[in-house]
Amino acid sequence: MEQKILLQLSHISKRYKTEHALKDINMTLRKGEILGFLGPSGAGKTTTIKIITGQLLPTSGEAKILGTDSTNIDASIYEKIGIVSDNSGVYEKMTVWQNMAVFAKIWRVPKERIVETLGQVGLLEHKQKIAGKLSKGQMQRLVLARSVLHKPRILFLDEPTSGLDPSTSLAIHKMLLNLRQEGMSIFLTTHNMEEAEKLCDRVALLYQGKIVEFGSPQEICLKYNQKKRYRILLDSKETVTLDQNPESAERILEWMQQDKIQCIHSCEPTLENVFLTVTGASLNL
Amino acid sequence: MEGIVKLAAVVKIKWIGISRNMSIVIAPIMTIGLVYMFRILYGRNSGGELSPAMISIILNIGLSMSICSDGFLMVGTTIAEEKEKHTLRVLMTSSVTGVQYFIGSILLPFILTVGVNLAVLFFSGIPMEQVSLPIFLFVNMIAAFISCVIGMIIGICAKNQMNANMIASPFLMIFMMVPVLGGMSEGLHRLSGYLFTGVLTEMTEAFANGKEYTLQPLNVAVLFLELVISVLVFLSLYKRNGYEGD
Repeated sequence: MEQKILLQLSHISKRYKTEHALKDINMTLRKGEILGFLGPSGAGKTTTIKIITGQLLPTSGEAKILGTDSTNIDASIYEKIGIVSDNSGVYEKMTVWQNMAVFAKIWRVPKERIVETLGQVGLLEHKQKIAGKLSKGQMQRLVLARSVLHKPRILFLDEPTSGLDPSTSLAIHKMLLNLRQEGMSIFLTTHNMEEAEKLCDRVALLYQGKIVEFGSPQEICLKYNQKKRYRILLDSKETVTLDQNPESAERILEWMQQDKIQCIHSCEPTLENVFLTVTGASLNL
Repeated sequence: MEGIVKLAAVVKIKWIGISRNMSIVIAPIMTIGLVYMFRILYGRNSGGELSPAMISIILNIGLSMSICSDGFLMVGTTIAEEKEKHTLRVLMTSSVTGVQYFIGSILLPFILTVGVNLAVLFFSGIPMEQVSLPIFLFVNMIAAFISCVIGMIIGICAKNQMNANMIASPFLMIFMMVPVLGGMSEGLHRLSGYLFTGVLTEMTEAFANGKEYTLQPLNVAVLFLELVISVLVFLSLYKRNGYEGD
């Protein structure tokens, strides 16, 4: 059965005075999926989120969010979506709890939900702490907790783990996977291809305002896996790379029988390799 | 009801922002303190009794300071601070409407300005029987509202708090300094009559001198014209970019 489409972009373009920021963007976001927008800085990821959420008008094309044209959305749509950008701020003079409480008031959310979300991001014991005194990782977790406080149907995350330490990134990844499990749809922009591969059901590779590849990370990687190869580390510490053919299969079988293999990996390209192949540019620009 | 709840949330955010910003909190206290200090010092120099001219000068300084520092700076810098800390966009994408944000932003500064102006009147030493309170409140409230709208204009244009202070400077020079210096120059005094702060100080000047004061058509026209102009400028800026500049 076709999953419900919550977000649809049709031929979206955005042109500034001298720059074509987005060119003919088409994609959909289904209920309960994580969609990744993957591309280097300046590829148009943030511009896309701003257009979808009504903060910016497209030059042409149509963006429909929860059935409403993004150019006609009113404030009520923000009760159904959550937005986290890399510079989403917190009220630094307020406590963690007050930061959550004012938004709980706006969204008419009970106090128990504040406790629940602060608990999920591990900030409950810091609830009386002044937000300005939180570490960068804690602050980002507070931003994330605030954005899901009202259980939005779609969560927009613009580089949510940018500049965070690995353990905080891991905690955020875990939380996002839980939210997907609960049925939330997540639109994630990142230039971190490992993050995209790990979290996303489908990804769009964006380069210079254009989607150059779209599909599940596995589909995309396998599509560009033209030459199937295997990398083998032997007991002798020698690394051997073999093409997929009957001779290689025989050699591998022989090594296996002799218990000579330490580890074996298939050599399909990563999303970064695919990106490099398609665009000739690196993701971490 | 739902709108009022959201408005209350914005007011709470603004209250915490204002009450924990020392440079903002100090301004109304300083205005009242300065007026009281002038009253004591000038009163001591003139044997305890203040002349009407002296009361007029004290009121002039106090009211101009209050209108400009509370309205322009309190409203303008709190919006600028929200931009600087990236919380304005968060708030505006949380289902708070532009109108709710507008009212929530000016409500406290408006009440505070009106209240401080009343305190200035009280602490200036003016015989209260010389004051027509209804007219004073009417002019005071319109002037406070205009200054808050100008504060919103400053907030929309400013990128950060420092920038807000810079943008506010020409407004302060015109709306605060012209009425204050009006007593020293005939030209400035005439110009002051065309400013909403000038209408306010002209009125208190009349009260201080024990004259009966009635609002002249020119005074009413100045107040309403400047009210309409400030609202129109605000709306045109808001329509172009919302509360943010990009």
